[in-house]
Amino acid sequence: MKTRKLLSLVLAIAMLLSVAGVATAETAVADLPRNETLYFGGQQWGTVNSWNPVGTNQNNAMGTTTNPSGSRTIMFETLYMFNLLDGSMVPLLAEGDPVWADDLSTVTVTLNDAAKWSDGTAVTSNDVIRTWEISLQLNNTAGANYGPFIESIEAVDDLTFTINLAKNEEGTPVNPLKVEDFLVATFVAQAAWLDTLEERNGGDTVAMLNDEALDAPYTGPYGPYVSNDQLVAFVRNDNYWGQDESMWGKLPVPKYIAHTIYADNAVTEVAFRQGEIDVGQIFVPNVQDLWEEEGLPVSGYMMEEPYGICLTMPTAWYNLNNPVLQDATLRKAIAIAVDYDAIIENAITNQSPTFEEVPRSCMNPTEVEQAMYDHEAVADLQWTGNDVEGAIAMLEEAGYVDTNGDGWRETPDGEEITLTAVCPNGWTDWQAAIELVAAAGANIGINITTVYPESSTYSTVYSNPNQTEYDIFMQSPDGAGPSQPWGRIRQFMSSDFVGLENNFSGNYGQYSNERIDEILELIPITTDEEELKALYTEAVEIYLTDVPSFSLMYRPQFFHFVNESVWTNFPYDGDGTNIPPTDCTDGYGIAALYNLQLVEG
Amino acid sequence: MKGYRKYFGKKIFWFIITFIAAVILNFVLPRLMPADPVAGITSRLAQGVTDASAVQEIYQRYAEEFGTNRSMIEQFLIFVGNAVRGDFGTSFSQYPRTVSSIIGSALPWTLALQLPAILIGWLLGNLLGALAAYIRKGFDKILMPVTMFLSAIPAFGMAVIMLVVFALTLHIAPSSGAYGLGMTPALNWNFIWSVITHYQLPFWSVVLVSIGGQAVGMRSMSIYELNADYVKYARFLGIKDRKIVGYVFRNAMLPQVTGLAMSLGTMMSGALVAEIIFSYPGLGSTLYDAVTSADYPLISATTLIITVMVLISTFVLDIVYGFIDPRVKAAQYD
Amino acid sequence: MKNTLRQVFHSPKFLVGFIIFVAVLLLAILYPLFNPGNPLQQIGLGTFAPPGTYVSLYDAVGTETSTFRLDDADAKRLASVLSDEDRVSMVNWLTAVGVDVTGLDITDTDALLEIWNANYDQSIRPEGMTNAQRNSYISLNNRLQSLGASETLTVMQPDEEGEMEEVTDIESTDYVNVGDVTNVITLPLGTDNFGRDVLKELASAIGTSLMIGLVAGCIATFIGLVLGLLSGYVGGVLDDIVMFITNIFTVIPSFVLLILINYSIGQENRGAMVVALVIGLTSWTWTTRSVRSQVISLRNRDHVNLSKLSGHSLVRIVLTDILPYIASYVVMAFILQISSAILSEAQLSLLGLGPKTTEVPTLGLMMNWAMLYSAHLGGKWWAYFPVIGVIALISFSLNLMNTGLDQVFNPTLRD
Repeated sequence: MKTRKLLSLVLAIAMLLSVAGVATAETAVADLPRNETLYFGGQQWGTVNSWNPVGTNQNNAMGTTTNPSGSRTIMFETLYMFNLLDGSMVPLLAEGDPVWADDLSTVTVTLNDAAKWSDGTAVTSNDVIRTWEISLQLNNTAGANYGPFIESIEAVDDLTFTINLAKNEEGTPVNPLKVEDFLVATFVAQAAWLDTLEERNGGDTVAMLNDEALDAPYTGPYGPYVSNDQLVAFVRNDNYWGQDESMWGKLPVPKYIAHTIYADNAVTEVAFRQGEIDVGQIFVPNVQDLWEEEGLPVSGYMMEEPYGICLTMPTAWYNLNNPVLQDATLRKAIAIAVDYDAIIENAITNQSPTFEEVPRSCMNPTEVEQAMYDHEAVADLQWTGNDVEGAIAMLEEAGYVDTNGDGWRETPDGEEITLTAVCPNGWTDWQAAIELVAAAGANIGINITTVYPESSTYSTVYSNPNQTEYDIFMQSPDGAGPSQPWGRIRQFMSSDFVGLENNFSGNYGQYSNERIDEILELIPITTDEEELKALYTEAVEIYLTDVPSFSLMYRPQFFHFVNESVWTNFPYDGDGTNIPPTDCTDGYGIAALYNLQLVEG
Repeated sequence: MKGYRKYFGKKIFWFIITFIAAVILNFVLPRLMPADPVAGITSRLAQGVTDASAVQEIYQRYAEEFGTNRSMIEQFLIFVGNAVRGDFGTSFSQYPRTVSSIIGSALPWTLALQLPAILIGWLLGNLLGALAAYIRKGFDKILMPVTMFLSAIPAFGMAVIMLVVFALTLHIAPSSGAYGLGMTPALNWNFIWSVITHYQLPFWSVVLVSIGGQAVGMRSMSIYELNADYVKYARFLGIKDRKIVGYVFRNAMLPQVTGLAMSLGTMMSGALVAEIIFSYPGLGSTLYDAVTSADYPLISATTLIITVMVLISTFVLDIVYGFIDPRVKAAQYD
Repeated sequence: MKNTLRQVFHSPKFLVGFIIFVAVLLLAILYPLFNPGNPLQQIGLGTFAPPGTYVSLYDAVGTETSTFRLDDADAKRLASVLSDEDRVSMVNWLTAVGVDVTGLDITDTDALLEIWNANYDQSIRPEGMTNAQRNSYISLNNRLQSLGASETLTVMQPDEEGEMEEVTDIESTDYVNVGDVTNVITLPLGTDNFGRDVLKELASAIGTSLMIGLVAGCIATFIGLVLGLLSGYVGGVLDDIVMFITNIFTVIPSFVLLILINYSIGQENRGAMVVALVIGLTSWTWTTRSVRSQVISLRNRDHVNLSKLSGHSLVRIVLTDILPYIASYVVMAFILQISSAILSEAQLSLLGLGPKTTEVPTLGLMMNWAMLYSAHLGGKWWAYFPVIGVIALISFSLNLMNTGLDQVFNPTLRD
């Protein structure tokens, strides 16, 4: 009896401890009713840091994510929303299309006169200008990213403003494409609040960037509701300006938007299977089993492989600091020997189109980008992989033979070749892919060993322009956006990145080609469709000839799977809504929130 | 009382020495890694930034803020100075959250899960071991191998099996987290009930695993004591069986207390890994996040807290032992 | 010695433990002989093929057939495409779009198919139907189309001009003997996320993990023994220093040390043996303490004093007068070290701090990859359950042997 009493006592104390421990930190808020809440998964990891529209490190995935392929506009809003399905820019805070000057030196935008802040005041040109000025002052992501391309923003009147583009020595605008990125990617913050922010932090840059900003007025349909270790939730602002006929004409359906904070992918997957998550940005291996085998009410954007839209392509980069890899023949030989079908099937379980379906280029698999270059013109340069004989023939012809009898080929000069293929530890699909690259090497007699350092070690090494430790390493180029695929071509081949310290941006392998640099300067200021297509085709031709890097698979920038246990009417391929599968929040994808319905019964 | 003072004085001395050693190890080891954590942060922030010098600037700003550009000794002094005030610096992966706040929110969950689970595992194990020793026969022959086998299953394996059976197949227990979806911590019945249901799987997977080892130890100790001369002598004197059994088990318990102190570290490590499987928001999950994101201030602090927890528990057990062990008791008459 | 061994093997606990251990060991040694090759070879394209025997469909086409007329073959075939639930949901769809289904017998396949084919249109999505349901109807409809095909399948091949040429016909009553098919592969435990043969990998992983246990156990026992003997027998300042270090490392959990050290080594330098070394270097304290206390109780025994008086060297006294008395103790500690080292490796790997992934399989790595590809969530038990089972069996058998030894060496514990 005594032990039993002791047992129950200990248990009771434990319970009280745990409850009290967490309860003290938070004030009680009503629970979220399931049929009024849309749950997300796979976006928010760890607790939210801040709600600061001009800060950095907010770790607020649902509230403050900006990206040219679709900024997340549930709380703060952008001027335009990018629709990656057709590459269009849909007005949000703006009204009508941006008006470009003929020489592309300025662009004028008019704001929607219905647009209001959550405190009821109107959105004005001054808000846009003040946000831009503070971004430059703080050098936050927006400031750092677009500063080189925008000279100034001037108000025309309360609702109209003009962006003057930065110009190069010849007086031509540096890059109108990046300014389009700016229009879809950056949030507008309230000028009056920005003054408050500056004042209360005494103008200190770091303090301003890290300000929690829970008081920041927003224009979007949702505002902060709950935020703790386990959950972040937003509540609908029923006075949202977008109810105006000039915008959506109604409120988004769910009253709450919530994201439970899970420890890792596996736990997120459990919750998604059980219908605790409605919209999952998660990689579920063999996702088709969920509906085919287990009969769960789960679907992707498409019902057949690859089940979603891929926007990027994890790519293996050659490090040209290694003299051996300066020979394009060797680079191409390895690339054509890799078994891409196996990578696509094992690493990403067919959630990528194959390279037969979408031939390799610098373009992502969306129709918009695929239409930008001439497939026929580069058809001879294509490869679909696993061409071991072809690769061997190529090497033999170029004089790569095993002269010292160790089973591995040497260079034509008789130098030994040992290459290390690297990606960060724990990135499962990349590791599986890198393994297959090494296997391809073994098949054609090139010695490739794999190494998986911790990701911070990895970042330290690959970003160093003089590194010679990693010969083949993985990195993904950017996804969609108005400036793509120009931006991606630049990431693959621009010499802007050569010799750059702490280079996390592109051309990590130090490739350079004068013609590519010219093409990269021409594309942003070329408006003629045919001319543009010729330039893009030429860039792809150079990319496939020189092989400075080679893509291993395609991959969604964001996975988009939905569990229709509670909500239905999510966008799907062929539903006629033209809403992109961007987790109902990014860019024009947010339109999905206005169409949702509760599942009957 | 002099004996006690000497005994405790010695224990406290060891406690402090070990603590200092632990602090040094926790600081130095993660920093031996040839990685630059600031590079990790920068690469995350620089996604999509095309202007190269802007990236440089971001990098410099964080290197300055985290002090990674200073010498190791300097960093250590700053670390110790701040740690004394309970400030373990800023997390790299969850910047700008402080390490203390991350640990502060994880610690109560781990304490509430592990303390009772280990204690109850220990109590049940001892009870079972004593029963096995006393009853013998069928009970001993069947139950002991079963408990031994259960305790041979690693804690994470037990967690996975429990998760698959009870949460995914039978749907009678929640699969993850410490409380229900959409709930906000508050002292109301709904919330407490939710905490209790979420508590079950992680709790029992730790308990089941820890029972066996204790039971085996207790059983051998009890048998040893039951066959001891003093028992035979007591029987011979005609002292009641019940009274003898009482003495026997008290004597057998003594080494078990020390045993608990010795195996505490092992038991906790298993329980920490089990936390990860259930995504229980305690130190185990925090440690996992910290390791996967190479967040060494957080790794240092988490491992330090775990060490301190083991240290304190060992210390408490030593004290308890001092009071119940007749030999230490006797020492005070020296 | 011989006598002790006989006694040991008469202990039922030891014997059972020993048999289990040897069985596991034999699996690790013998299986690779039957099924040679690289255990890390990715044989399967795709992840997690379930356990079973796989027959090459390509080879089966050319294999000689026998004809069997089985009564229930057609019914089985039909049921595999069109289950009873499917029939109900077909009727549900038809009702939802307003088709009159009164009088329809859903067990009448022909009638059901007729009305279905006449009405189903995948572009129609009835009100209230989810996209997941719509998708399942589309795939059901696709499956049903194969029912409409004729009984006989024709296999064709393009000839030199690219014209299709018939190779063979396949009747629904054709069977091939599995033994006649050239390529058949049996995967008793299926494949893992990389498409590797799980059993083959498991056998090899057991070997590696036991090796890790053995190496770590040897290192820990050796250090523990040497330090324990020295500090116990020599005493004095040496004893103080050794105990100082030992005390510190007893209290700092070895798991924490393992995490910290493995983390700082970095993944690229962590081979299986490096991990074993680290485990061994962090787990000797327990042995040191117990050896030391045993030695202290021995060092003033008469026979030791006699040796001392006879002027025997320190090494000789330790080897002949002390070691034999604590040998059984050391063996038992060694056994426990092995099992805890195997467990440590598994836990470290789950945290992502185990040996590097691609050189050799270990039990922990197999578990880690199964978890990373969420095998436990998708019901792919073959990828993780055998691993847990093997770890449990190894640890169980070692513990049993240990208990058995304990009973032999401590006669008071005997039943």
